[in-house]
Amino acid sequence: MYGWIWRHLPGNAWARAFISLVLALAVVYVLFQYVFPWAEPLLPFNDVTVDGAGAAR
Amino acid sequence: MSVRLVVRTFSELCITVGTLMVLFVAYVLFWTGIKAGGATDGQIDRLQDEWSQGPFAAPVPERTVPPAPKAYEDGKPFAVMYIPRFGGSWDWPVLEGTRAGTLKKGLGHYASTAALGRSGNFSVAGHRRTYGDPFKDFPKLRAGDAVVLTDGTTWFTYRIEKEPYRTVPSDIGVIDPVPRRSGFDGPGRYLTLTTCDPEWGSSHRLIAWAHLDATQPVTDGKPEALRS
Repeated sequence: MYGWIWRHLPGNAWARAFISLVLALAVVYVLFQYVFPWAEPLLPFNDVTVDGAGAAR
Repeated sequence: MSVRLVVRTFSELCITVGTLMVLFVAYVLFWTGIKAGGATDGQIDRLQDEWSQGPFAAPVPERTVPPAPKAYEDGKPFAVMYIPRFGGSWDWPVLEGTRAGTLKKGLGHYASTAALGRSGNFSVAGHRRTYGDPFKDFPKLRAGDAVVLTDGTTWFTYRIEKEPYRTVPSDIGVIDPVPRRSGFDGPGRYLTLTTCDPEWGSSHRLIAWAHLDATQPVTDGKPEALRS
């Protein structure tokens, strides 16, 4: 999988390494900005209220 | 398709999933705290700006009842809470409502409960863990501990009634005007704090009750509980 990506990146080894780094950072950004905030409420850390009061569940 | 390719792809997937998990844990443990730190500081700054710009109400002497507060706006901060037991630098904004998005920016006031300092039960929920861990030390609360709040014109000093009470999430009675099992036997000016228990779980809730002990206009300076 990663080998396939590496082979399809343009340029020499240095350029490929640089692009890989940028891609990795982009993935981390998307995860922290969008994916994790979505996934986090599915875990129980958010339940701090007693029910029935229009509460966050 | 060679066995080698299958094994390699499988290993790469495992490594990817492992990395994802580590990143998610880092997000929950640290990043939510950093985000909340920024958000709560913003909320407190905003409140202080609002308070410093607003027409300065002349202090009303000889009044035991503080003036009626403005209706709180959903999702907006209206007070700052201090609990000396949690540390001298512990200050958190209190926002109206207990929606998940609101609780990411500070503590949340149950919209159905009394206003700050008024007769009834002013109830506030906060995270035990994640988003800055505001109520991390919740079990350390003891009878007599001060919970100090200010709405910009008045300081309210509440005193904790007894050690935190552990209950189940459906126990709505704990935020009743005269909360059940709190030991209060008549109407009064109460405060209820709720958070989750165990620390990282959601099977139970921890509840702390307090009663209003003293009020003073902000012009008189900080209340005694914060001076030390």
